[in-house]
Amino acid sequence: MKTVLIADDASFMRQMIRDIIEPEGYEVVGEASDGVEVVEKFRELHPDLVMMDIVMPKRSGIDAVKAIKAEDPTAAVVMCSALGQETLVMEAIQAGARDFIVKPFKPDSVVSTLAKVVEKAE
Amino acid sequence: MDLAKYTALFLEEATEHLVEMGRCLLVLEKTPDDGEAIAEVFRFAHGIKGMAASLEMDSITELAHALEDFMDRFRSRGCVDPVNGVPLLFQGLDGLERMVAVVRETGAAPPPDEALVAMFHDALARGEGEPPKKG
Repeated sequence: MKTVLIADDASFMRQMIRDIIEPEGYEVVGEASDGVEVVEKFRELHPDLVMMDIVMPKRSGIDAVKAIKAEDPTAAVVMCSALGQETLVMEAIQAGARDFIVKPFKPDSVVSTLAKVVEKAE
Repeated sequence: MDLAKYTALFLEEATEHLVEMGRCLLVLEKTPDDGEAIAEVFRFAHGIKGMAASLEMDSITELAHALEDFMDRFRSRGCVDPVNGVPLLFQGLDGLERMVAVVRETGAAPPPDEALVAMFHDALARGEGEPPKKG
């Protein structure tokens, strides 16, 4: 079972992601509500996947991706973006994120994106 | 999707965001170059946009998006326009508060406020909030 760390400052979004991925066999091992906490929890939990919002308090999602990839170049990070964030998504991919999903989340799309990222990592 | 659960979460978080947004706008009224307050207003608008989009509440998404785009200009500039920017931001805040109140009272998506969204789009088109040109 693949383990996942979810990072988003809105508990609404963290709950929604959890509700989508847990029935698909992913284990949510931790949650973070800002860009500092996600890096700390990544170090602590070593999840198989990180699902991270681009805009977060304390540290941006892009900076957090860079920090996580510096810790572990093999880390698999999927960015969660909203409307009108194409530029930021590209920056996150250049920083090392593997893929992205867009709000509003379509469960099928979320699941297929995670499956794709997991498959590439194996 | 358990709409009731997510609507309750949305109301709780959106309400908190709007209270904080109001606090930050009061700071920006007095100190238009307060970087933290500018970043926070942007982030709260962004957050409300994302949650509303997830619930397919397009009217809230649209207004929050307009406010977010407007705020993004000031982020680039490092300063809010106290004459043209702050009053419009307060109108945007009022608009979002009214919309969230409709959700709280009815559980349903509120009607769009096209006039208010148009005000933000017009302000963006006029270049309000653009960083000053060099040279």
